[in-house]
Amino acid sequence: MTAADRRPAGAVSPAGPGPPASRLARLTLVTLERSRPLIAPAAGVAVAVILVLLLQGNGFVSTLIEDALVYAIAAMALDFMAGYAGMISLAQAGFLGVGAYGVAIAENHFFSPWVAVGIALGVVLVAGLALGIVAVRTKGVSFVIITLALGQVLYGLAFQWTGLSEGDNGITLASLPSVGPIDLNDPLTLKMTVLVVFAVTALVLLLLVHSPFGLSLRGVRSNEARLTALGYRTGLHRYLAWVIAVFFAGVAGVLYIFVNSLISPTTMAFSADGFLVVMVVLGGLGSIWGPALGALVIVLFQQELSTYVSRWQTVMGLTLIAVVVLSPGGFWGLVRAAGRRRDALIARLRARQDGGAAPPGGAGQAAGPPLALEPAQPGTDPRQTP
Amino acid sequence: MQEFIAQTLNGLTLAGVIFLVSSGFTLVFGIMRVTNLAHGAVYLLGGYIGYSVIASTNSFFLGLVTAALSMAAFGFLLERTLITWLRRSEMAELLATLGLIYVIDDVALAIWGGNPLTINLPGILGQSSTLPVSGIVYPNGRIFILGVSIVVAAALYYLLRRTRVGAIIRAGVDDREMVGALGVNVRLAWTLVFTLGALLAGFAGVLGGTVLGLYTGADSDMLLFALAVVIVGGLGSFEGAILGSLLIGLVVDYGTAYFAAFAYSVLFIPVIVVLLVKPQGLLGRQGA
Repeated sequence: MTAADRRPAGAVSPAGPGPPASRLARLTLVTLERSRPLIAPAAGVAVAVILVLLLQGNGFVSTLIEDALVYAIAAMALDFMAGYAGMISLAQAGFLGVGAYGVAIAENHFFSPWVAVGIALGVVLVAGLALGIVAVRTKGVSFVIITLALGQVLYGLAFQWTGLSEGDNGITLASLPSVGPIDLNDPLTLKMTVLVVFAVTALVLLLLVHSPFGLSLRGVRSNEARLTALGYRTGLHRYLAWVIAVFFAGVAGVLYIFVNSLISPTTMAFSADGFLVVMVVLGGLGSIWGPALGALVIVLFQQELSTYVSRWQTVMGLTLIAVVVLSPGGFWGLVRAAGRRRDALIARLRARQDGGAAPPGGAGQAAGPPLALEPAQPGTDPRQTP
Repeated sequence: MQEFIAQTLNGLTLAGVIFLVSSGFTLVFGIMRVTNLAHGAVYLLGGYIGYSVIASTNSFFLGLVTAALSMAAFGFLLERTLITWLRRSEMAELLATLGLIYVIDDVALAIWGGNPLTINLPGILGQSSTLPVSGIVYPNGRIFILGVSIVVAAALYYLLRRTRVGAIIRAGVDDREMVGALGVNVRLAWTLVFTLGALLAGFAGVLGGTVLGLYTGADSDMLLFALAVVIVGGLGSFEGAILGSLLIGLVVDYGTAYFAAFAYSVLFIPVIVVLLVKPQGLLGRQGA
């Protein structure tokens, strides 16, 4: 960075060569440059608002955020698999259901609540490990089809195996676990627990994404043949990604039954599997935070606005189509694009102010790199040639 | 024994409806690599439209033709708009058709409501008769559906094996690029196959509406059957669709009759076995 770059906007000599910088342009530049350090605090404020609404807000908003956080866990985990390894699964709600049913059924068979949670997560893990052997044999579109089928097997069991699942009526949970001062039967403690589990999930997934494992997953998505040639065991990578995603779906399921006290087959139906995919795609494949936002939006519509907007599923379907057609990166993709555009604008304005010091075209070209860490737009994988 | 024969006939009828849906699905996938998740929704929409036409005109066959043609028009429009816009990515097409499911289902719910509807067959088709062998009393309508699907299968077989269009479609399934390079209007063939698939789905919707009923969720059930068929039979294989439909139709029917608690799960035994043993499907040629 040269001294000229760092010179404050006001110090530019109007007599310099090149086009004179207008007052507006200078103002824009100053605003943009000063806005950058504000992004982190703004995000912090948003998180704080959500926290306050969750813990202090009235029943309506608080319940909404609680539900959204539960679904966000499953959605972020799905994004880990879909956005980074290219494996879009239509079975995620099914595994959420397995987690929830696991707790409910185990508790109904006289296990203590904590043991029931352990059993539920164990069952989810075993189901994920077993079904993963089938699912991971396929890729791309075939993987979606297979997971759709597997998700429907799980749904079918919940719906038809009435001896275990009580069929269409679902199972209600009698009491929630408690240990020492942490009693999940207390609504506030439960909300805190949901929040902590959400935060831990996000942290774990982000660490995984940025770990060598996460990077090689992206490699598997963009060019599996090359990674195989480099000696990576790509099948094992995909299998691990699947197991991780399934496990967190089960975690979300455990929280789901804690929050709702009821699990019924509807939670695992095809449309519910689709909802999770919609959350991820609307939020932005391959962004972790985007799907959390997507979960908030979808839960808001599904559970709260559905009473006011009767045709909200039409709205959601059309929105999904619009996002796929116009902005495959989803909401997060728009944010990233806006960030890149802003950087380009800053560079252009700076170049114009500095006049002849830098050729206008060159600076604009150099703009993007800081935010261009991501590979090519997720979700728009080029058509494979047969 | 009598019950077993009746269940087998039921399974074959179901296989007939499943075949009508899955043959279109598999051809569309085979030649265009488009995974149309809304195929089941097209089936249900066709059934509902047929129901309304039959209710207002009292003519079953008019309803059948209207449903098939309106869904063909819908398929044509869908292929020319959404599918064309998304030509760049298989996954984008899949996701867009997932969105379409929600739209179609919601609109259908708004128009036809949430209560299950059944289409009544006219005249003699609505009655039952005693079968010559074993003396089972069996609905004529189911025999009719079985017959119609066999006729459609024969017609499709003729189209695919004995006509120029069929040769183009089969060649397209094997090697799309080469067919285009030979100067064939691949674009037109794609539109044709997509339209044909939607036409068959709408047609099947009316037939299926008589024996299976029209209800919220019938679309995902039928989509699931079609997907199971293409996994078992092999994506893009017409003969595989016939074989897969027979297998899935019978398995679903026996499953529902004899293992009610696991009817859905029984369906996936052939699917999982095929995936583990022959991932490209029984009659599939290339890796899916």
